[in-house]
Amino acid sequence: MTAAIADTVRSEWTKFRSIPSNVPVLLVTVAVMVGAGALTAGGASKGYQAAGAAFDATYISMYGGFLFAQISVGSLGVLVVTSEYATGMIRTSLTVVPRRGRLLAAKVWTFGVIALVMGEVAAFGSFLLGQTVIGAAGAPAAELGHPGVLRAVVGMGLIWALVGLIGVALGCLLRDTMAATTVVVAVNFIIPIIGPRLMPAAVGDWVTTYWPISAGLQVTTTVHQAGRLAPWTGLGLMAAFTAVLLMVAFVVFRSRDA
Amino acid sequence: MIRIDGLTKRFGDRTAVDDLTFTVEPGRVTGFLGPNGAGKSTTMRMILGLDKPNAGSVTINGHGYVGTARPMREVGALLDARALHSGRTARNHLLCLAQTNGIPGKRVDEVLDLVGLESVARKRAGSFSLGMGQRLGIAAALLGDPKVLLFDEPVNGLDPEGIKWIRELMRSLAGEDRTVLVSSHLMSEMAQTADHLIVIGRGKLIADIGIGEFVRQGSNVLVRADGQDRLAPRLIEAGGSIQQGTDGSFIVTGLEARQIGEAALAAGVVLTELTPQRSLEQAYMDLTRDSVEFHASVA
Repeated sequence: MTAAIADTVRSEWTKFRSIPSNVPVLLVTVAVMVGAGALTAGGASKGYQAAGAAFDATYISMYGGFLFAQISVGSLGVLVVTSEYATGMIRTSLTVVPRRGRLLAAKVWTFGVIALVMGEVAAFGSFLLGQTVIGAAGAPAAELGHPGVLRAVVGMGLIWALVGLIGVALGCLLRDTMAATTVVVAVNFIIPIIGPRLMPAAVGDWVTTYWPISAGLQVTTTVHQAGRLAPWTGLGLMAAFTAVLLMVAFVVFRSRDA
Repeated sequence: MIRIDGLTKRFGDRTAVDDLTFTVEPGRVTGFLGPNGAGKSTTMRMILGLDKPNAGSVTINGHGYVGTARPMREVGALLDARALHSGRTARNHLLCLAQTNGIPGKRVDEVLDLVGLESVARKRAGSFSLGMGQRLGIAAALLGDPKVLLFDEPVNGLDPEGIKWIRELMRSLAGEDRTVLVSSHLMSEMAQTADHLIVIGRGKLIADIGIGEFVRQGSNVLVRADGQDRLAPRLIEAGGSIQQGTDGSFIVTGLEARQIGEAALAAGVVLTELTPQRSLEQAYMDLTRDSVEFHASVA
């Protein structure tokens, strides 16, 4: 990283932390993931007998809370860009950093790191609290030393970063907070979670397997379900989707009038 | 120095800036004047690389702006004082701009002091009045101690004290041999600040002229004299043009009152009336009449 890009990254960090709502929202998001995760883990572990060998204590402890948290992470990513368009700050920012690729790269890097760090905190927090709850409910709890567990928990933090960056890319492409947030919720929540129930079975299966976030979340499982992608393959697919979205955002951002 | 060459910008089928060519020299305040919608802001955005021209080019101090290593040391700009996040404090707003160019926090405190905002540095910018917002915008423009300064309508919404402050600031910046381009749609404002005028209308260059020459060209003086036939040739000789009035008076264009008085003295003629008729504002309106986009009609 050259000195000048480091300067822009420093500036983006100042921008992020100096908007009064950002840091509290992030902390609440972590708390929601841990809290809601513990509740859903408690509920799910009551039925572990029925699940038998398919019971995935690691996944269950994180997934429920993540459903709530990801909406907030995606929206924060959107706001990293759209708040500048809404206020007109983008013109000031591009006046002091006329190289547009550099400005967007600094935003991607800064928010990517923020989302990754907070995502790991949330992932480990919800895993550890979740296992206590699961154990207390009489179900077999997982430990970080068990096969695949550490990969699953670390992977959940990576998913946070990717969800955040999908938000940044969509915010850059759509420039409007409402529009971009709506698309983020549709892409990461409505289509993959609610969609398969409403679609014809074949389409629903395809979405469940290959839709970016559905594929990506395979990295957070420790019990492989038939027909789904392998953990890293799934995460790779989601990362590739995010990269393509970001590339389109860079091209559009560089060519458009501010 | 800013050099603009054949600059053209189209939005759909509307040509906002039409083959504009002019140079903004250092060491003086250049007024960028034109009616609302004339293309002033679009031109300024193209100077900064925010909008891409359809044709033509801009160079700042001999090179393009976008590739500059430390842009804030080259150009400082106030385009829109409201273009900031209202939740950020004044100091954090300036700090995040300064950091992009490796400018230390000490300089942030200096410019806050310079614009008189040091006491509200840790207040949210959203709570600022229009005048305080303009001061904050000017502080941002000054952060990098730039050689070129662009101000888009800087006095809008300011109280008289603020206007006086901005005028003196622009004069002192030009006095330090910086290039200062200030846009306005008000001639009266420019008459008190600018040394040179770039006048545009409908995106086209109308005049690129020193303020003194503009004043001279723009002045109409009503003259009555005993012995007009002796005075008239002297006035024409001095470069004026004469229009015969109805009641024995005549209107002189292109000469100031003093020059007319001198001509009368040389001709040995007694002036009985010498009344400047047309304000600078009027001269400016005459100049841009054909290029005003929206006329109000009198019902």
